[in-house]
Amino acid sequence: MLKKTLFQNQDKMQMIIAILGSLIGLVFLISSIHYLIRINEFGKGEEILGSNTMIIQKKVSNSSSLKLTKNDFTREEIERFKNEPFVADAQVVICNNFNVLLLTDDPLVPKFSSDVFLQTVNAKFLDVPSKKWTWKEGDTIVPIVMPRDFLVMLNTFMSASGIPQVSEDLAKDIKFKLRISNDSKKDFISAKIIGFTNEIPSLLVPESFMNYSNQKYATGKENKITNVMISSKEGEFGNMEKFLEERGLESRKSQVIIGKLKSIVSTLFIVLLVISIVTVLISGLVFIQYMQLLIANNQYQIRTLLRLGYHPAKLIVLFTRYLGLTFGFVTLIAFLLFLIEKVFVDRLFEKGGIEISHSLSIASLISIFITFCIFVSLSYLVAKRKILNEFFS
Amino acid sequence: MKIQFSEVLPEPLSSINHNELSIWNSNFSLDNVKDRRTILNASSGKGKTTFSNLLLGIRRDYSGKIDYDNRDVSSFSIADWVEIRERKISVVHQDLQLFSNLTALENIEVKNELTKTFSFPELEDLLKQVDLFDKKDQLVATMSMGQKQRIAIIRALCQPFEWIILDEPFSHLDETNSKICFEIIQNRCDIIDAGFILTSLDPVEDFQFDKYLKL
Repeated sequence: MLKKTLFQNQDKMQMIIAILGSLIGLVFLISSIHYLIRINEFGKGEEILGSNTMIIQKKVSNSSSLKLTKNDFTREEIERFKNEPFVADAQVVICNNFNVLLLTDDPLVPKFSSDVFLQTVNAKFLDVPSKKWTWKEGDTIVPIVMPRDFLVMLNTFMSASGIPQVSEDLAKDIKFKLRISNDSKKDFISAKIIGFTNEIPSLLVPESFMNYSNQKYATGKENKITNVMISSKEGEFGNMEKFLEERGLESRKSQVIIGKLKSIVSTLFIVLLVISIVTVLISGLVFIQYMQLLIANNQYQIRTLLRLGYHPAKLIVLFTRYLGLTFGFVTLIAFLLFLIEKVFVDRLFEKGGIEISHSLSIASLISIFITFCIFVSLSYLVAKRKILNEFFS
Repeated sequence: MKIQFSEVLPEPLSSINHNELSIWNSNFSLDNVKDRRTILNASSGKGKTTFSNLLLGIRRDYSGKIDYDNRDVSSFSIADWVEIRERKISVVHQDLQLFSNLTALENIEVKNELTKTFSFPELEDLLKQVDLFDKKDQLVATMSMGQKQRIAIIRALCQPFEWIILDEPFSHLDETNSKICFEIIQNRCDIIDAGFILTSLDPVEDFQFDKYLKL
């Protein structure tokens, strides 16, 4: 009876506008948050190097080939890199100054060996716990990060030897050893693969191992800094690219392209997120305004019910529930529309070669739940203020 | 329930001169046992509606003090007033305060659903007594003032109360219907040991009263 008394005569047009506005805003909101997260996750896991990390070097030109210009970095240059606002960190990449041979050392795998080139990478640039990336004098095993191209080469060799090819996970279990030598001495040390990288063509080892080996087996040549590992801040790839261009620096293209792509798409989704938040806010305001209008139109009915002995709390709950259920229904429809839209957008990303997770992101679900809670709380506060005003009038 | 007025003067009436017999700015009390049948007589503009609004806590713009069972109503919370309106004091407002978009029966049910005072057959019986049973499904908006007054009276009875304020409840009723309605009210008051305050523009001669108040 109360519902009939209070909600029979309404201006449906304003309600329809509020519902449509909220629907569009909510679909945008869920989509933008979901894809913002998925795009930022893109490329993670496959690459052991942290996100937005790359190794840079000076462009090799004819003049540098003729030794007219230098190709190495000075310590001052590296400090300047660190001070750039878009740079999260920059570290020297140290190269080996001795001879290194990588050999298989596993009874299940045929003998294989190859000259390799070592470089160091600081643990903070890797997506692995730092305790896995340590080595100290006396340790019998050195952790290594292998270039993926090397695994492809290893598999080609395995295939040619009539042995099944190995996956990345299996490769991590194969025993390897490094032969470290100079003209007068040589040593062997076991090596364990802890990850793979697309970005660096050399084998990566901990800095402590490189320093120790460089000291012990140095061939006497000067060890120049020709590579610097650098990581940019999230979404700053545009600035980083411009910086590299201006300074005559270069990096592996793939990382720049991925970073640039992520930066552009993330920016687009941030813009969409801002638009959707504004849309949800405006439609939420239209909803609240609609509630105020509904209460104003029913002022006589509310006042009379209160005079008849109805508790204000009962009417406040009734109005809040009415608007809450309506908004809840809109939220549910928005979520279903998002699921349909997701099928198409995921396909579009897939077509474009961007493999993103198809699962729902928790943050997008939380965002609509929070939006719903904020709306219900606001509705409750508005209803409470308006109805209590009527109690003593 | 004992209602006590101590020099109560509503703000809108403070500029008007009230004679010495007026309840405004004076001291008086009403006991629902001793003063079960009370008449409040006044001409227009003297504050009859203000009086019932004060009793329901609708108006709080007054000087002086009102006590219910020796408790100052100015200290009442919303919950206290809800209890007063739902279980202690019922009112037939002068402007009736019905819902025009509801039928006669629905208007009564709005109150009865809250208090669960009468069963559905009892409601039907009351409608028969006031000769409105065949109109129970008619929208109140399409009813005459007399019919509306009878609906408002039945609705006011659909709650437990210790006092019922009747603000010119029979102004649009003929003598027969007035008597029927008055008898129903009196019977109900006798059953639940409640008192009534009947406001009237004219001096009342037909009814017996325990207390006579003037505005």
